[in-house]
Amino acid sequence: MINFLFLVTLLIYLAASIFQTLSLAISNRSEAAILRPTIERVAFWGTSIGFAFLTLFIALWWLTQGHFPMTHWTDSTAFFAWAITLIYLIIVRLTHLRTLGSFVMPVAFIAILISYSFATHTAALPEPLQNYWLLAHTSLIFLGYAAFIAAFGFGLMYLIAERKIRKKTDTLLDNLLPSLGVSDELGYRCTILGVILLTMGVIVGSLWTQYIRDVPWRWLDAKVISTLMTWFIYVLQIGLRQFWGWRGRRAAYAAIIGFVAVLCTYVGVDLFLDSMHTYR
Amino acid sequence: MNQIVSIGTSHHVAPIEFREKLAFSEAQLTESLQHLRESYQIHEAIILSTCNRVEVYAVANSVRTADTAAKMLVEFLAHYHRIGVESLKKWTYLHHNLETIQHLFRVTASLDSMVVGESQILGQVKAAFDTSREAGGAGTILNRLFTKAFSVGKRIRSETTIAAGAVSISYAAVELAKKIFNTLEGKTVAIVGAGEMSELTAKHLVANGVSNVIVANRTYERAVKVAEKFNGTPIAYDSDLGFLVDADIVISSTDAPDYLIKRHPLANIMRKRRHRYMFLIDIAVPRDIEPDVSKIDHAFLYNIDDLEAVVASNLKDRQQEATRAEQIVAEEAKRFYDQLQVFQVNPTIKALHQQFREIADTELQACFYKATLSDEQEEAIASMTQAIVKKLLHHPMQNLRYAVNDGDADHGQYIQALQELFALDVNDDNSDM
Repeated sequence: MINFLFLVTLLIYLAASIFQTLSLAISNRSEAAILRPTIERVAFWGTSIGFAFLTLFIALWWLTQGHFPMTHWTDSTAFFAWAITLIYLIIVRLTHLRTLGSFVMPVAFIAILISYSFATHTAALPEPLQNYWLLAHTSLIFLGYAAFIAAFGFGLMYLIAERKIRKKTDTLLDNLLPSLGVSDELGYRCTILGVILLTMGVIVGSLWTQYIRDVPWRWLDAKVISTLMTWFIYVLQIGLRQFWGWRGRRAAYAAIIGFVAVLCTYVGVDLFLDSMHTYR
Repeated sequence: MNQIVSIGTSHHVAPIEFREKLAFSEAQLTESLQHLRESYQIHEAIILSTCNRVEVYAVANSVRTADTAAKMLVEFLAHYHRIGVESLKKWTYLHHNLETIQHLFRVTASLDSMVVGESQILGQVKAAFDTSREAGGAGTILNRLFTKAFSVGKRIRSETTIAAGAVSISYAAVELAKKIFNTLEGKTVAIVGAGEMSELTAKHLVANGVSNVIVANRTYERAVKVAEKFNGTPIAYDSDLGFLVDADIVISSTDAPDYLIKRHPLANIMRKRRHRYMFLIDIAVPRDIEPDVSKIDHAFLYNIDDLEAVVASNLKDRQQEATRAEQIVAEEAKRFYDQLQVFQVNPTIKALHQQFREIADTELQACFYKATLSDEQEEAIASMTQAIVKKLLHHPMQNLRYAVNDGDADHGQYIQALQELFALDVNDDNSDM
């Protein structure tokens, strides 16, 4: 039953991602342009419905597991997708910029796909870690990552729009993309939000270590170092912008570098390095 | 039978010298509408008179053919404006019924305009409609027709992009600026050198939110003069370009033979303004801004050719959208025409039915009075009579409806014939519409 629910969620996310991408890919000059409003609507409602299903799924999983489902990088991806969608929906709510979905929804879909493929690999969570510290620590960090993914989406939107303006072609199509100033500004705000959430998550995590006695803790953990490096990349980016005016294209590239850093921290460390955060 | 006809002239078919002769001033409109209805057999009329077109839409219901109605419109124009019938025939177009409907829909949707998709025409048609309504010129049919034309125009504007994209250089500049900055509010535009085009562009930018204007000119007096128009700041042009530090948008149109704004000095300026975006518009020939400037991060350069290419591409897009819009017009015009036909046939059908039923009823009463019949027998005879009436009317009605639905032009004659043969008293004002 719960697996079926997950499959349905996966398919809705697949459909929503395809429609989100389609809505941006259709040229204004093509015959299909008339379909675009419908496609946009389907994409957005698909995203919203998918989010509702995913929320239900995580809640059920939580109940059946007895603790917050965050034991392995493969099962936490469901929560990651949830966080990405939540941040996206909040941004749409505030700015009405649905186009962002064309960039972040595929990421959310891949996250769910990974989660679905490895769902059986749920690892047992040591007893002392089953508490609200886990919930606060991981969800803050994942929401922070989700905000970075949104910043990455805005960075891509900036680069595409800038390319169009520089190439001096196609003036109608990029009506869908916000102006350079808007992409840049919103990407920056997402970065700040991400840094705040990540900082809070790290603080909660380090406080938590004070309370764990039964599990050995070491500061020189691959995950910890990698997370701090990611954090530093984003903080540096904010500093450069504030003091040297690194905005626009440079900020967009920085958002992409940050995105890679997030992926390395999240997936790379677990796969290739030994860390106590993986619970293997 | 109602005939909807129109006569008109536009920039497509006639030179300005002719169009101005045919134009109606606002004061003439009411009077000419009255004249048209009193002296000719025209029941409803609307006159549309703009600088690009003069058109008269009319409904005549007491004439047999649309040609006769059209002829009256020609006579009216010839008489009213004292123009020879020959030149009227040469420079005007006549439309009948479906053609008229289609033409009005095209005009209202601005498919017939000089710049396809322009927005003024809808307002102009509305004004013509209102004037005519106040003067009692528009009756039921034109009311329906024009109301439909407005909704078709709106449908086309929302379902196609014929009205999208700037089609003038100055608007193209504004649209591009909107794609670069998150808002134009609080932004500064610098006009370097002065000219009509740069002033016009600056005007549009200010109308869209730009709040500061700097005018730089070699002659300070000239700068002052232009700056006054925008409540801006005049400065004497200075080759170190220091004033560009504050400029978000630069419009350059001097007659200098060499580049005034070059890459390296501008890169320094960009650093000083901490890489905030700068949109540079070079409308000078020979150019004022070195093309390499566009290699600087956050500096976006468009010259006159680039802007013209934007306009050309937008116009092309509009043309393409126009084909889709034409399909909508054709489909809506046909639908409206069919509805109108059905609607015009209804009174005759009703009258015929009523007449037959009345005759049957009278005869039945007479028969019941003469003969003594049981209730059962009376009922049988009554229902038989009804069946006869129904069967007699069946084929004529069916064929009439077919004729209408097939768009067969003959049905007008059928109706005429029915009305005359059966001496029907049909209420022709269509008040039950």
